[in-house]
Amino acid sequence: MISVAPTPSTLRAAPTRGDAAPELFASWQRDRDASAREALVRHYMPLARGLARRYGRSSEPFEDLLQVASLGLLKALDRYDAERGHPFASFAVPTILGEMRRYFRDSGWAVHVPRGAQERALKVRDAQERLANAEGRAPTVGQLAEYLEYDVEDVIDALQAIQAYETLSLDAPRPRADGEVVAYGDTVGKNDERYELVELDATLTAVLGHIPARERAILRMRFVDDLTQTEIAERIGISQMQVSRLLRRSLEQLRTLAHAG
Amino acid sequence: MATAPHVRLTLPNRPENVLVVRQALSGLAARLGLDAIETNDLNTAVTEACNNVAMHAYEGEEGPLEVDVDVLDGALAVLVRDQGVGIETHRRVGGASSEHRTAGGGMGLAVIDALAEHAEFLEPAGGGTEVRMEFPAPDDSVLPPVHADGDGPDAGTAADGSSAIALSVAAGALAQAVLPRVLSALAVRAHFTTDRISDVQLVADVLAANAGDSLGASRLAVGVSIAPRVLDLRFGPFQAGRGASMIAAAADGLAPVIERLTDSARVAPAGSGATETLELRLVDRH
Repeated sequence: MISVAPTPSTLRAAPTRGDAAPELFASWQRDRDASAREALVRHYMPLARGLARRYGRSSEPFEDLLQVASLGLLKALDRYDAERGHPFASFAVPTILGEMRRYFRDSGWAVHVPRGAQERALKVRDAQERLANAEGRAPTVGQLAEYLEYDVEDVIDALQAIQAYETLSLDAPRPRADGEVVAYGDTVGKNDERYELVELDATLTAVLGHIPARERAILRMRFVDDLTQTEIAERIGISQMQVSRLLRRSLEQLRTLAHAG
Repeated sequence: MATAPHVRLTLPNRPENVLVVRQALSGLAARLGLDAIETNDLNTAVTEACNNVAMHAYEGEEGPLEVDVDVLDGALAVLVRDQGVGIETHRRVGGASSEHRTAGGGMGLAVIDALAEHAEFLEPAGGGTEVRMEFPAPDDSVLPPVHADGDGPDAGTAADGSSAIALSVAAGALAQAVLPRVLSALAVRAHFTTDRISDVQLVADVLAANAGDSLGASRLAVGVSIAPRVLDLRFGPFQAGRGASMIAAAADGLAPVIERLTDSARVAPAGSGATETLELRLVDRH
């Protein structure tokens, strides 16, 4: 029951469905009756499944999480004390969540980019390029989600990860659509002089000297020549996501330099 | 003196808006240095509270979902509020959905209780429900209190008070962490391409980084309207005469950043001329 009162009250768990018969708990805990345990697991599996789905979304494959949640459920079945009169769910929810947290903690999930998220980021990046090449313009997040059969939010998180984690080797040169492998520095180098930012005022020119040539070129193409990020990406042979990341970073650098100066 | 939350987000209680709340929290968590597990706990618990509002608070009608976040001494306090039908009312009135708020919400409340360091469920006298949650935060993450500025409740909800989607956030580092995430999530809702979403992020970066010195308040208030491929943003309250300098974003050196990235940018007087609102429109013409 949830206690509702005009004064603050601590939350209590309310079971989503009726508790299993207390005899089942007794049969399992006292008599080690395997069929009682099986019945209990069947009865409470939706609870474990629901928690696995709620906790740790966008991280590990669902099957892995479900396995950990099931383990938590088994532990809860062993430890639950029906005599105390609390519904099983109120005991099982924290036990199962605790098991999932421990799993994440032990697997180094807290400090690494999780495998699932990493794979998704790479897939989103590739799909983004494929769709952009096919359509001649960048896709929407909805189109990416549909194409990859991901949640919209998974795509958003992946796009965020692409910006945040350079360790994903997202900058490694890849073949262009025509099959030619291009090293990014090279493509920009030729155009360097053309993209000198001569029109901009003196302070800015001084500050821009601290920004690498490729980033200067991208700034120029976006803010002086008014090219879209997709057009810039095409010209210098990198992905639009990378253009986005480089633009964001160099604007940030310019801000820092301008404030320092 | 009255204080205001470090972050306040007001949205219609649609399920798809819960995503926007999560994006704001993720930005905040990254800024505060929470690890992935702490961030996940925070997101999961707050999601449960928001889903409860999205699904049950207004009995199929639309109403506001409000989320306040405060960074206190070693704790992150989150308040999820609605003005809908409370649990007790649900139970009294009965009807087809009467079980939902209690039974369906029960699992969510159990999750909140298990993940938050401290959780309370309240039904304030004025109606609606509130779920208050506290999560541990690194000690050094404490932020100075934000004064309510005496500019009335509207400044906290929208730059012009009329927007259904509103964010107000303490100017400075917090705005820089939260604003780009929230606005790009809203750009997704407006069916923007990834190309244009990146532009929205750049605009958010510029505003969040430069607003502090020009605001006529300690919080940056943002009102958002969404239409297919159109994002209308209102920022304020800027000191009179400072809105234009935001468009120029002179601190960037690159004068045309906002002008180049938006389809229209204009300054409108607000608060009987004492302050200004910056009105930006971004369109995706794909």
